[in-house]
Amino acid sequence: MSFLKVALSNLRRNPVRSMLTGLSLAVSAATLSVVLSLDSGYSSAVTEDLVNKTGVHLYITKEGCPIEAASVIAQGGLSPLYVEEDIVSRFEAMPELAAVMPFKLFAVTTDDGTRTDIFMGVTEAVSEVKPDWQYASGGWFTSPESVILGAEMARIENLNIGERMYVEHFDAEFVVSGILQRNYGQDDGTFFLPLATAQSLVGREGKLSAVALKLKDISHMDTVQNQIRASMPADYFVIGSKELSDGILQFFSSTRAIMFVMVGVAFLISVFGIINTMLMAVLERRREIAYLKCVGAGKYDLLRLISLETTAIAVAGSAVGALLGMVLSPLSGNLLRKFLVAYIPSGAIARPDFGIALTAFAVCTLVGIACSLYPAFRAAKIVPMEVLRNE
Amino acid sequence: MNNGHVVQLENVSKNYRRGSETVHAVSDATLAVARGEYVSVVGHSGSGKTTLMNIMGCLDRPTEGRVTINGHEIQNEGEAGLTRLRQTSIGFVFQQFFLIPTLNVLENVSLPSLFAKRKLNGRARELLEMVGLENRLHHLPGQLSGGEMQRVAIARSLINSPPIILADEPTGNLDSRNADMIMSLFQQLNKDGATIVVVTHNPGIVKGCDRMVHIEDGRIQ
Ligand SMILES: Nc1ncnc2c1ncn2[C@@H]1O[C@H](COP(=O)(O)OP(=O)(O)O)[C@@H](O)[C@H]1O
Ligand SMILES: [Mg+2]
Repeated sequence: MSFLKVALSNLRRNPVRSMLTGLSLAVSAATLSVVLSLDSGYSSAVTEDLVNKTGVHLYITKEGCPIEAASVIAQGGLSPLYVEEDIVSRFEAMPELAAVMPFKLFAVTTDDGTRTDIFMGVTEAVSEVKPDWQYASGGWFTSPESVILGAEMARIENLNIGERMYVEHFDAEFVVSGILQRNYGQDDGTFFLPLATAQSLVGREGKLSAVALKLKDISHMDTVQNQIRASMPADYFVIGSKELSDGILQFFSSTRAIMFVMVGVAFLISVFGIINTMLMAVLERRREIAYLKCVGAGKYDLLRLISLETTAIAVAGSAVGALLGMVLSPLSGNLLRKFLVAYIPSGAIARPDFGIALTAFAVCTLVGIACSLYPAFRAAKIVPMEVLRNE
Repeated sequence: MNNGHVVQLENVSKNYRRGSETVHAVSDATLAVARGEYVSVVGHSGSGKTTLMNIMGCLDRPTEGRVTINGHEIQNEGEAGLTRLRQTSIGFVFQQFFLIPTLNVLENVSLPSLFAKRKLNGRARELLEMVGLENRLHHLPGQLSGGEMQRVAIARSLINSPPIILADEPTGNLDSRNADMIMSLFQQLNKDGATIVVVTHNPGIVKGCDRMVHIEDGRIQ
């Protein structure tokens, strides 16, 4: 005989009700774990894209807030701001730098708006900067009309080395000189052109989107950043790739806020549901509870008994919900990918893990237990004399 | 005390408010029950028997007067003290049995020991054997007859070995055959040393008692 046994036997009295109560908590737990996986997944995916996969440590851009720079660098588009190409020579003498990559980035959307292509004009430094710049076939540009295709673009365009690619927007033709290996990043969907070709396509000869710098030793990041900043004209920006991804994550903050509001609503609904149900469960057996008091149950015994009932429901519901969240997260990641406007990273957006499941489980269980307090308190206050009510 | 009395009421009154009027459910009652005594309380419906029982059982406090239960003056006891007294000193048997429908017979009998924080291995089983239900241990109350349910309730009232058994119309919901069985069970318990106060209309029970207390309009005659 134990309190737990008595509590569990009480739950069996109305199994459907117990199950529905648990289910409402399960929904909350699932929502919470989905949102947490999306939240951490998105940040990791953005950081991976912009910090790990690009291999860039610092960007030099023209004035404009870092966030704007972030979206230009990450998404393409033709920014009205540009960096003069002659600035590049300043960095080439710096011993702290492993590579200096000037680039011109722009995006072209087809007239019917169904497709956006990203073009990047690069110099040979690109192969030093990007950690996984590997050719699946072919190699570097052989002429000003050469193009190197990201793995995904080669697949979509169904092109091989030496074949011609016509770009309607510029009424220009290119010859494929190389195809990159898949790196599961932005590069997969990019057309790489010789820098000068890219500049003249958009009429920006001698102008760059930005200069990307790779450091020999990343631990000198702050020093180098300050040093460059001091030597640059005032309207230039020196942005660390981490700041860049933070900038993008700020775009995400409103989406994030909405997601957490959703979690809040789910919790609110289940909190009221649980309190209401448990209160009903207590009030409909007032006489039985009064009877328990007659046979010696004290205030704390009843608090314990009723909380245990709710705790059992909370533990079961939260566990089911947390697991469900793990299963649903990848699906919701794909859904978010469709609606996300700020920046769509190439990696998985939802990243469920054990820690998240555990957090969701713990939070929901605690919420459930907190909800039991009021009904339990009401049960504890029932006086033994109520056993004789309505006789 | 202790002059051998396990229950002592001195000039006890209990008033209830019903709207604007005051109901004198028990007035100036004085009663002492000796250890080992078997007392029946009889009276018309509404005469105050249940009220008297509730006061003896520490379920309610008197409006006036002194109540001493097993050596404890209840006006000096707080809520926790009364709970403790109910756990250790009193076994209740009610007309409506009040078994927990989701617990089996054995568990129902053990329940008061859970609250008294006692480990009484095997005692519930012994008590159920004593009331003749050794082959009903794992039945749910819904599977029992009224007489069986009341026998379970009696076994339950004895689990913490309380010095006092209080029964409020224990045969009120039973047919005469089952009532007789309960009656002889009480007599047996009394022979084994239990102090019993039973409210009843059953002439059979009254006959087997040491003493009958008559109550009318809240006054002990
Ligand atoms: N909680 C209560 N509130 C108001 N009046 C009550 C209450 N309990 C009992 N009474 C009244 O007190 C009187 C005695 O009741 P009770 O002790 O139940 O009598 P009995 O058990 O002999 O039938 C009755 O008039 C009854 O209506
Ligand atoms: Mg009565």
